[in-house]
Amino acid sequence: MGDFLLDLSQNPQARRLIKSLGLPIPLPEKLKRDTGPLPARPLADLDVVVGGAASELTPVLAATLTAAGANPLLASPALASAFADPGQSFGRPAGELSALAEDKNVWGLVFDATSIDSVDGLRALYDFFHPVVGRIGRSGKVVVLGRPASPSDAPAVAAARTGLEGFVRSLAKEIGKRGATANLVTVEKGAEARVAGVLRFALSPRSAFVTGQPIPVSAKAKGGAEPAFVHALEKRVALVTGAARGIGYATAKLLAQEGAHVLCLDRPADDGPTSQLAREIGGTAVLVDITAPDAPAKIAEAIKAKGGVDIVVHNAGITRDKTLARMSEEQWDQALAVNLGAVVRINEAIEKQIRDGGRVVCLSSVAGIAGNVGQTNYSASKAALIGYVRSLADKLAGRGITVNAVAPGFIETRLTAAIPVAIREAGRRLSALGQGGLPDDVGAALTFLSSPAAQGITGATLRVCGGALIGA
Amino acid sequence: MGKSSSSKRRAVIVGGVRTPFVKAFSEFTKIDTIGLGVAAVRGLLARTGLGHRDVEAIVWGGVILPSAAPNVAREIALDLRLDPGCEGMTLTRACASGLQAITTAVAAIEHGDADVIIAGGSDSTSNAELKLPQKVVHAMAPLALGKPTPADYLGVLSKLMPITDILPTKPKIAERTTGEVMGESAEKMARRNEISRQAQDELAVRSHLRAAAAIASGRFDDEVVAVETPERKWVHGDTLVRGDTSVEKLAKLRPAFAREGTLTAGNSSPLTDGAAAVLLMTEEKAKALGLTPKAAFRSWAYTGVDPADQLLMGPALAMPKALERAGLALSDVDLVDMHEAFAAQVLAVVKMLASPAFARARLGRDKAVGEIDPARFNVHGGSIALGHPFGATGARMVTTMANELVKTGKSTALLGICAAGGLGAAAVLERV
Repeated sequence: MGDFLLDLSQNPQARRLIKSLGLPIPLPEKLKRDTGPLPARPLADLDVVVGGAASELTPVLAATLTAAGANPLLASPALASAFADPGQSFGRPAGELSALAEDKNVWGLVFDATSIDSVDGLRALYDFFHPVVGRIGRSGKVVVLGRPASPSDAPAVAAARTGLEGFVRSLAKEIGKRGATANLVTVEKGAEARVAGVLRFALSPRSAFVTGQPIPVSAKAKGGAEPAFVHALEKRVALVTGAARGIGYATAKLLAQEGAHVLCLDRPADDGPTSQLAREIGGTAVLVDITAPDAPAKIAEAIKAKGGVDIVVHNAGITRDKTLARMSEEQWDQALAVNLGAVVRINEAIEKQIRDGGRVVCLSSVAGIAGNVGQTNYSASKAALIGYVRSLADKLAGRGITVNAVAPGFIETRLTAAIPVAIREAGRRLSALGQGGLPDDVGAALTFLSSPAAQGITGATLRVCGGALIGA
Repeated sequence: MGKSSSSKRRAVIVGGVRTPFVKAFSEFTKIDTIGLGVAAVRGLLARTGLGHRDVEAIVWGGVILPSAAPNVAREIALDLRLDPGCEGMTLTRACASGLQAITTAVAAIEHGDADVIIAGGSDSTSNAELKLPQKVVHAMAPLALGKPTPADYLGVLSKLMPITDILPTKPKIAERTTGEVMGESAEKMARRNEISRQAQDELAVRSHLRAAAAIASGRFDDEVVAVETPERKWVHGDTLVRGDTSVEKLAKLRPAFAREGTLTAGNSSPLTDGAAAVLLMTEEKAKALGLTPKAAFRSWAYTGVDPADQLLMGPALAMPKALERAGLALSDVDLVDMHEAFAAQVLAVVKMLASPAFARARLGRDKAVGEIDPARFNVHGGSIALGHPFGATGARMVTTMANELVKTGKSTALLGICAAGGLGAAAVLERV
């Protein structure tokens, strides 16, 4: 599972040699990650430059950044008044970008583009980013805040708002070799306060492998109280399918780390690792074959024993790869049954057991977005989930339950380690960050979407793909 | 908790005494924290005329506790040959230990556990113990327990290499969780709360000048007892106060904790040896013994903040809490006494108390807690000038404020103390 180039890039001599010889060898940056319990101040002592016009979002931005421990550096004096009070309360007085030493890099850039509603207005992106883009530090973070384009917008307004997406996608590719990420957060009117939790994620090392995409924040799912950011899942019950290994294993551990009691579900054949995990994290092992006819009933029973469930992570999945012409009926059926059929059947059976304010997260895949040779069955099932969460989100919004999907790209797991080397290398390198992600990266995204901080995100598909060149 | 006005029995402060506060590694080097405590309690008994059977308990606070006899309170009682029934407990709440000892005693009296308790605290930085690394302790276990063979000795030696791993570690006032020395945390607070060097030096000078004036006027005579050292030398008064200091002089000092920093030895509290003790009893008992109550606790509050954020901001949260429990606004209290760990920390807390933004974001209140008039703030100086024997400071403050209420005829005083671990302590005293 080792990534030779990533190891090589850690060696300063090798790095210098490759650069001075001009060898066409990509040297991916080792990503800064954080897999410990969510900290109270994820941005403690980090410099974050804030630009753009003052808007309804500025007070949220000011309160979020200062409470999260960042040192705000303002690119425009128009933002200063909103930062004055929070800066004082949290001992994070805003400085001016111009006062920062020439040779000093910054951790993050946040640009408020919510006021941009014309084609000329897009020029503000160039004006802000052009002088500072070179100063983004390693594994740094860029967040552009925009408004979602809607069909009711005037065409030019919609154009400007949609333009932000293209900007962020390209910027992500430009800064990816530094390990830095860029994302667009589109904020619906009335959902401003919900940006806090999303910013904490998108600006912290938790989102190390999330880049080059829009993250929609809406007021759709009911719920209002200010979310807890630490021990956020205390007193909550989570169900994770496919928990024995890989992404499910990482996710179960991360959810437990935030305080959740995790029902670790896997096949009876995986009793060993599943039970060991459950013991380790103080959870409960649930041994069920999710495609079995009685699976939904058994799962509902396990949930009933806990008095309900707050978080459901549909992670279990299989591949049965073959080009369509050579694919057997069984291969088609198995992939769809596990990846899609089971998800729908289980959800229907336990929907009433999901408590208000709950979370449902499905594991989709970049393959479901981009398609892959030999994966018609897999891609169909994974793309189906994208539509499924969009629709289910609407249905459950009134109960404050959010429903989302996570679409991993190339993740270093047992499965990908078995891929032939040439294809594996292509999968790794053909992305903005030039490397594969780790199960913990997907786990972090799943945990974020399972947390109260993500109340504003529903019906969405979050890619954890390091900016894969395919499938954007 | 802490609201004495609602309970029937009320504990009152009838007296308080402290040793002179002297610089660590000077006059008191050969007196340990127990010895300092003995000196303060002996002085208190003498001044209040209590006999060896009158005290039912001693509650003592300390930060650097002697590992061979950590229950300092009991050792004091035994050394003074008080009645064996005078029990003792020792507690620690970092720099708020002295105040904690006193409020614990008040609660015990008001709960009916005892009628008369002496509470206070002491610390001897001069007698801090050098700690051997755990590696040495574990390696030495076979030698310390059982009958070692020569092979055991060799085995231990081989475990102790390399030599640098086994050197005793220098004691320092660093946070366990962050590893940060307290001065570094205060330095950060100065920067983050935009407290200037000038403002810090001005506060330090005021502390010194006020303390010097208090000493010159004899204001502390009732509160300080002379102590005889093992070298037969008598120490009559505080040795750290500099009545001749000035902002100009302090401005020349170099930063102590960061190259571009603003904290210096001049605007930080010094390492100090000393002890302070307060006599507490029920009002009835005071009457029976013919003693005049000076003050009582109207409320107290302890709280904590994240030490990794702003380590010494605790009082900004504890003081409003104590005021709320006392049913008072900051503007209602006549005197405010804050422990001066560092001028920067005091000024940061004062700034937050006056900040409406802080009140909204951190206290959930509409209005700022309030401005503090310098004329009623630390009226006789504070820890920067007088010194700060960790465990003793709370008892010193309670004594000085109780006496101040009596002498001035004012009615209430608010106390605030910051402590390691991000703790904040506060109390409201009222004249009886």
